[in-house]
Amino acid sequence: MKISDLILTANHNLFRNKTRTFLTILAIFIGSFTIILSNAINTGVNDFIDKQVESIGDDGYIEVAPKAVYEQLEALTSAKVQEYSEDAKTVENSTFDDETLKKLRAVDGVDSLNPYNMITVDYITTNKTDKNYKVSLTILPDDSLTVDMVAGKQVSNNTSEYEIMITEDYVEPLGFESAESAVDQELQIAVPNTLKCMMTDNRKDCQTIVTTKISGVATTGVMSVGAGTRANTALYNHLVDLQYDGLPESQKMAYMATGHIDPVKEDAIRKAFEDEGFTIMTIDDEVGMVRTFFDVILVVFNIFGGIALLAAAIGIINTLFMSVQERTREIGLEKAMGMSNTKIFLSFSCEAILLGFWGSVIGILISMAIGYGANALAHQTFLSDFPTFQLVVFNPVNMAVITGIIMLIAFIAGTAPAYRASKQNPINSLRYE
Amino acid sequence: MDTIIEVKNLTKVYGKRNTAFTALNDIDLSIKKGESVAIVGKSGSGKSTLMHLLALLDKPTKGQIFIDGINSTKLGSHALNRIRNRKFGFVFQQFFMNANDTVLENVLLPLKIAKIGRFKRKKLAEEALKTVDLETKAKNKAKDLSGGQKQRVCIARAIVNNPEIIFADEPTGNLDSATGDKITDLLFRLNKEKGVTLIIVTHDEDLAKLCSRIVRISDGRIISDKSVRKDVQQKSSERWEKEAARVKKANEKGA
Repeated sequence: MKISDLILTANHNLFRNKTRTFLTILAIFIGSFTIILSNAINTGVNDFIDKQVESIGDDGYIEVAPKAVYEQLEALTSAKVQEYSEDAKTVENSTFDDETLKKLRAVDGVDSLNPYNMITVDYITTNKTDKNYKVSLTILPDDSLTVDMVAGKQVSNNTSEYEIMITEDYVEPLGFESAESAVDQELQIAVPNTLKCMMTDNRKDCQTIVTTKISGVATTGVMSVGAGTRANTALYNHLVDLQYDGLPESQKMAYMATGHIDPVKEDAIRKAFEDEGFTIMTIDDEVGMVRTFFDVILVVFNIFGGIALLAAAIGIINTLFMSVQERTREIGLEKAMGMSNTKIFLSFSCEAILLGFWGSVIGILISMAIGYGANALAHQTFLSDFPTFQLVVFNPVNMAVITGIIMLIAFIAGTAPAYRASKQNPINSLRYE
Repeated sequence: MDTIIEVKNLTKVYGKRNTAFTALNDIDLSIKKGESVAIVGKSGSGKSTLMHLLALLDKPTKGQIFIDGINSTKLGSHALNRIRNRKFGFVFQQFFMNANDTVLENVLLPLKIAKIGRFKRKKLAEEALKTVDLETKAKNKAKDLSGGQKQRVCIARAIVNNPEIIFADEPTGNLDSATGDKITDLLFRLNKEKGVTLIIVTHDEDLAKLCSRIVRISDGRIISDKSVRKDVQQKSSERWEKEAARVKKANEKGA
């Protein structure tokens, strides 16, 4: 029998007993559906993270902060009691003084390191609205970082003009009709002077209003790197001056920095910085947590799917054993007519593989229907701020691999019944009542 | 006439030691091309075992079977499958059809196994169905046919690969006498017109008498091997001609 005939005949035989075949396929479908949908969600999330990382667009980008900051964060989430050590550097003493900067910049693989001061902005507003809005303003330290823009351009550091970019969700509150209409418009920033504010109860007395130009509107990101409301260097430095004016030099010292490293030497650099009391964070570190979370979910669902497939495999074995028994005489006849044991084995294996195939295909189709439906629904509701985020993404390679694995499982499940069929004695089979 | 099957010292023992049972004991037999041989015996006599061995469905404990001069006991399973597929046709008492498949699908099964292409095998199957006057039923489900029609489909299936030998195991055993006669006539027409060697296993003496030779088996041995008188065979031919005329007439009426 030709392979094509073998497959067509197997498929035909499969649907002789429709109910039984349907139930077996249903069992496989439950497993394949779980695995395919959870993989699609994982692909979707990872795609989104990739896009975000891509939008930052730089492998070597690092953010540096004193180790103590992270240690404090860790201490908050950890119940472990740690002993105090005098050697431990604190936030205060881990600042970028000239000597430290020199040392860190000299570390092999560090291309650049630019410290910046943290600032607190009271609010931003425009003349199109009466309301003031809180904002967390940071610097876009590096022109090589590319930000996913909705309208206009990202801020430029090659100018002495003040520039700011806002995120999409600020467009409407600030009184603009659309992202496009916000570009090149004016925006006011209220920045407090730390010293003056300590000496007055009236906040207005210590605030300075700075007017700047909106260079563009960025998409709302989920990660701090590259995302958010960002100022160019000119504006940022001006705001720093206003905020820190009057403070002693030691208080003006920056303890945050951004920079650029050779990604290949990341591990060595990380160690060198740790020795100086600083922790570096690459883009991978930032997204790693999110990825790990979704990877764990994927593993859990794949285990569920795997268990369902295991049960389905037993269903396949059962179905095929029944089929072999029902078709004992048919097998005998085919053998009498010269069909080889191998071909008999293959014909039943084919049925098993086809069961797996149909289970996967139906799993894919229904997952897709539900997935695309969920995408549409999500964009109308909780994902409306993230137009580029597809909740579920069906990667053809993944689908093919999953289908392949399920077909392999089905084949393995089918070997026992297929072997029994292939070893049947034609004479006994023909006598079988 | 050439010898198509030759059997030497054929012995078949089932089981081992204490439970051993000798189904066939040292049989010699030679069958010529175009012969029609009836293997007759009571149940348990060994006649079915003999047919299974001749049809290469089972291996003898001792002895040799030559098909067209080739010693089959020395062949591998692939070669045996090929001989059965190309040279043999099988007709069974219980028909053995795939009830939910069409008549055509049932008939072309041996060709499918022989890896013959889709169009060619359909054409050959239709021709075979024409031979048994069932070409109009090609697309019907096998289960919707009467017993006689089923057996005719089985004959079509047995001849579709243009075999040299047809093995028929109680071909009329499940049919009433009138329908059985039609099947018998069909088999003998194939024997006469196409020169197909016919080996029929039966306990029906009337059917056996229509063959050119009767081999009687008892307790695993051949107890007699005789040619049948021409005049007895003649009767069958006459009856066949009558039947053929009747079918022809009916067809003309229908047209």
